[in-house]
Amino acid sequence: MPLRLSIISLTLVLSGCALDGRQSFMDPRGEVAWLQYDLFMLTVYVTFGIFIAVGGTLLWTVWRYRERVDDDPNEHPPQSHGNPLVEFVLIAISIGLLVIIAIPTVSAIVYTHGMPDEPDSLLGSYYHGDMSDGAEEEVLTIYAYGWQWWFSFEYPQLGIVTGNELAIPKGKVVRFELRSKDVIHSFWVPKLAGKVDMIPGRNNWMWLRGDEAGYFFGQCAEYCGESHAYMQFRVEVMEDDDFAEWVEQQRQTPPPPQEESWQDFVVLAARAPEKLVDEPAVRGAALFYGRGACIQCHAIKGTPAAGLLGPDLTTVASRKSIAAGWMEHHNDDFTINPERQYENFYRWIRESEKIKPGNLMYHVSGGMRDINLSDQDCHDLAAFMMTLRPDSL
Amino acid sequence: MSTATSTAPLGAEKADENRSLIGLRRPDHTTGLADWLTTVDHKKIAIMYAIFSLAFLVIGGIEALIIRAQLAVAENQLITAEVYNQLFTMHGTTMVFLAVMPLSAAFFNYLVPLQIGARDVAFPRLNSFSLWTFVAGAIILNISWLFQAANLLGWFNPIDGRSDIVPAVGWFGYAPYTDTAYSGIGTDFWILGLQVLGIGSLAAAFNFIVTIFNMRAPGMLMMRLPVFTWMTLITSFLIIFAFPPLTVALGELMFDRYFGTSFFRVEGGGQPILWQHLFWIFGHPEVYILILPAMGIISEILPVFSRKPLFGYSLIIFSGAVIGFLGFAVWSHHMFTTGLGTVGTAAFSLLTMAIAVPTGVKIFNWIGTLWGGKIRFDVPMIYGLGFIWMFMMGGFSGIMHSSAPADSQQHDTYFVVAHFHYVLIGGSILALLAGLYFWFPKVTGRMWQGKLGHWSAIVIVIGLNWTFFPMHYLGMAGMPRRTHTYLEGTGWQALNFAVTIGAFILAVGILMFLIDMLRTYRKGVPAGNDPWNARTLEWSIPSPPPVHNFDRTPVVKARDAFWLHKFGTVDQKIGSVDPGAHGVHMPSKSWMPLLTSSGFLVFGIAMAMKSAGVPLMGYLAITGLSITLIGIYLWALEGPGGYHLHPEGEHRPH
Amino acid sequence: MSAATEVTESQEHVPTGMHPKKLMMWLFLASDCMFFGTLISTHLIYRKIYPDVGPDPRSIFDIELTTGSSFILLMSSLFMALAVSAIHKGELKSFRRNTVLVMIFGLLFLSGQVYEFYDFAVNKDFKLTTGTFGSSFYLMTGTHGVHVALGILWLGSLFAYSYTKHFKAETHAMDVEVAGLYWHFVDIVWIVIFTAVYLLEYVSF
Repeated sequence: MPLRLSIISLTLVLSGCALDGRQSFMDPRGEVAWLQYDLFMLTVYVTFGIFIAVGGTLLWTVWRYRERVDDDPNEHPPQSHGNPLVEFVLIAISIGLLVIIAIPTVSAIVYTHGMPDEPDSLLGSYYHGDMSDGAEEEVLTIYAYGWQWWFSFEYPQLGIVTGNELAIPKGKVVRFELRSKDVIHSFWVPKLAGKVDMIPGRNNWMWLRGDEAGYFFGQCAEYCGESHAYMQFRVEVMEDDDFAEWVEQQRQTPPPPQEESWQDFVVLAARAPEKLVDEPAVRGAALFYGRGACIQCHAIKGTPAAGLLGPDLTTVASRKSIAAGWMEHHNDDFTINPERQYENFYRWIRESEKIKPGNLMYHVSGGMRDINLSDQDCHDLAAFMMTLRPDSL
Repeated sequence: MSTATSTAPLGAEKADENRSLIGLRRPDHTTGLADWLTTVDHKKIAIMYAIFSLAFLVIGGIEALIIRAQLAVAENQLITAEVYNQLFTMHGTTMVFLAVMPLSAAFFNYLVPLQIGARDVAFPRLNSFSLWTFVAGAIILNISWLFQAANLLGWFNPIDGRSDIVPAVGWFGYAPYTDTAYSGIGTDFWILGLQVLGIGSLAAAFNFIVTIFNMRAPGMLMMRLPVFTWMTLITSFLIIFAFPPLTVALGELMFDRYFGTSFFRVEGGGQPILWQHLFWIFGHPEVYILILPAMGIISEILPVFSRKPLFGYSLIIFSGAVIGFLGFAVWSHHMFTTGLGTVGTAAFSLLTMAIAVPTGVKIFNWIGTLWGGKIRFDVPMIYGLGFIWMFMMGGFSGIMHSSAPADSQQHDTYFVVAHFHYVLIGGSILALLAGLYFWFPKVTGRMWQGKLGHWSAIVIVIGLNWTFFPMHYLGMAGMPRRTHTYLEGTGWQALNFAVTIGAFILAVGILMFLIDMLRTYRKGVPAGNDPWNARTLEWSIPSPPPVHNFDRTPVVKARDAFWLHKFGTVDQKIGSVDPGAHGVHMPSKSWMPLLTSSGFLVFGIAMAMKSAGVPLMGYLAITGLSITLIGIYLWALEGPGGYHLHPEGEHRPH
Repeated sequence: MSAATEVTESQEHVPTGMHPKKLMMWLFLASDCMFFGTLISTHLIYRKIYPDVGPDPRSIFDIELTTGSSFILLMSSLFMALAVSAIHKGELKSFRRNTVLVMIFGLLFLSGQVYEFYDFAVNKDFKLTTGTFGSSFYLMTGTHGVHVALGILWLGSLFAYSYTKHFKAETHAMDVEVAGLYWHFVDIVWIVIFTAVYLLEYVSF
């Protein structure tokens, strides 16, 4: 028994480091997560109380009624069969304790299943850029799509699309519409809210509110295939003006590396590649729109790349990770480390199958497995990727 | 008739008057492989269930150890993601269906006829059929490993080009991932293995219910039955009602995969969530199927080692029945994150909380049994106390899950993994090990010696806690389930490393237990009828029992019949029924159950091969079903058989 | 001891008063209830909660034909009851005659099913793969049809067996009765299916 207690306290000590970790639900930073945390702690206290009471009784009973060495083995203790009063009282107490948990539970279920009615959370009250008709009176609604093995995020009211990293305004209710493009996935950012599944054929939704600005970690929480472990995402909670700026950045089209327009560039790269400037990013762009066949899956806003099967790459270089959060390149203060970023782009293009086994960029027919890219090609594409950031960054 | 085995009956006769319609004769081997393959003796069948289940416990355990080795350090690549996914799928499926369920079946088989004072079960050949069908299902699931190896060597290439030949869909196989668009023939092995296993379980359930209702000895009223037999009865009813939805779900999935239906296919209008509902309507009662027999075992052991009756017998039985009943009402608590809606979520949350009440009642009653007793700390009691403690902890995390909003953070994390391992290992496995320890002397006639039993119990309990307690924290720290690896920045590594150490400690404990079992089997001292001074009928006969169990059918006067026979008043002593001139009627052996089950084996493998694109497999599958049909016909036609024993050695005229 | 069923000895003392084979059949039917219940639930869920855009059942069903074959199946149960009654009275000839009638009517029902499926698949383009309606309709009625076919096979076996020297009315009456229970169950399941699948389409709510 003492051995077991010391083991448990050892793990408590060890665990101290993990509970304030970046994906811990014991460190809520959003209203829904706080509500769920409070409910969880209530169950912890109640069960801990029961543990002390019942466990203590068990320990005491075992000690008190143990057979002594000098006991006569032929003498039996009184052969009692039960005590209905004791049973009744214990059942009543059990029910009472469960009622203590049940009432806040039902209340929380009702609260989280309805949209809170808050004028401050209507888009028009904090965002003043372009938006779709009628959106001023609506709460910001983000469509989150789960794919094998990445997330896409669309903001129809604001006309923007991004992949794997999304931003929301601080202190405002945000509604997520959760969909899946293939198998069941789950949308979970523990510090902001509990998870809701993305089920094909079903229109699940949830709301949450980020109470403090910051960069929060999310992960798919429903087994979805070979690279389920590598399917993560990020939520950035921003002040209102930072959010407005972010939205503007997502709307920008990066300039073509050469020529006046992307159309001209693509035509030039196809017809007269010898006229291209001999720099990595330019060569990379030519590959992107040409032999690399990237445009069959990826999109870059305002350019001939309009693929819908992979993450939107318009602002990919402003993201602090790629490969659905698996390859990180940010510093502790969440600024981007350009060397690591370049390295990640290069490695992902060069050997995505080793990083995320089964990934469709590699395996889809006509995908990376079928395309022969040299090492230099991969470097060039990585260089091109590095240019895909909004001007102001 | 040869009498090479210790269970050979005195004065037995051949069943030669029972040649059947087509000249078949029932086999009567008493030794060797043919004896074991044709036996209908519930005791031998039980031993086979136990040996298979312990083997699969070890196999499932090795699968777990590899998983833990992979997770011990962040960003580890000890095994590939695909192999990892296959391992957790097979670990879960193996432990649930091939370890805990058959080990429980071993106890049902061995004990129920003895505890009710009967010769065997109601349908002995059907009992044998259940065993061999279980074996067929186990083979179908695990033969996929061989095909995977063949694939690695380049000898076997499924037509879909996928490499998940060992199933990688998780033990509950959510659609649409199980569709042909996303997973390979491993899913087919999984479907067919489970279907076949289900047939075996259903047949056993029917058998045990009829046995318990119809074959009780005179005076063995329902309310005098040992609690283990009661739990067997309730569990059997759960099986009858829980398995058909699984059968339908698996069948619908099979039709989607093989025949292009749209039960779970979104493109055809199907709803993947239907799979979850159907699976969990089976799946939740299934976990009660896994725990009720264990609770029955504990309810037998605690009174013996406290030397007083079970506290609140009626309420323990009633609460078992309530748990069984409510168990069908809570399935969607596995689906709290699927968007059930306000009413659905609240209803299932409240019902799940409600089920804690009868469970709590049992714990109170077990403690009440200890209270005022004289507690001996023999090994079964150590396991029993460990069970109460560990199951209670598992129950607490269950209560934490029952609150749906809180659960939306815990679901699909290591918090759930902690919960169900506490109730399954701390609950089911500890109780089953307790039962093995307790009844081993009865089954083998050998008694345990020395302290290895105590030490293995302690090491197992330490290993269990060291492995699974930190997992609560991992879940809280945000680690999802079924993930091949994790980034170093998550901070989960220290806990994962600690967990892995615990897993190996647990493995050592299990190994110690198995060594002790083997050692005792070889060299234990003779146990005698009643080495523990116990309370129920099985302890009134020799260890090991003769093939016919009771020389004379007992007449029972009260609950705890054997205890009162030993220490009660004169009119509480167990009476007996004179067997009469024709002696004891015993069931004959048969090849037909094995034959019938083998058809399923052929069918299952053939269907998986059909999925792989191997030609002519459809015909082989039909052949498999035909073998089963032929087996059934021969079974019916070989006649009822039966022979007589005169255990008291008297030669009376017929 | 004579070639009796395995439990003659204990039959007199059986606490439930019900022969084990009969008790077992009741338990099996309970599980089969859950089985068909799940299939029918799947069908109703897909018709009422997630209706698909496929064909309108009313344009596919030939309700007169199906009503006719349902009646035939019901009549087969009458003959089954007569067969059980006959065997209990030891009237072998009557038992055999009624059993053959059950089989004939069962085969008529199955022919109706086969014709219906053929008509749907070939003339009305309503196949197993036609959306969720096709999936659940064919799996459910097909499973029921297999149950009927197995029942016919069982009855045929009993019929043939009754001509052998091993068959004795008193000892095998229970086997016939158990087959009868199964047959009646299959009939009742059809009534539920007929109502839930066919008739329900003609009632609007």
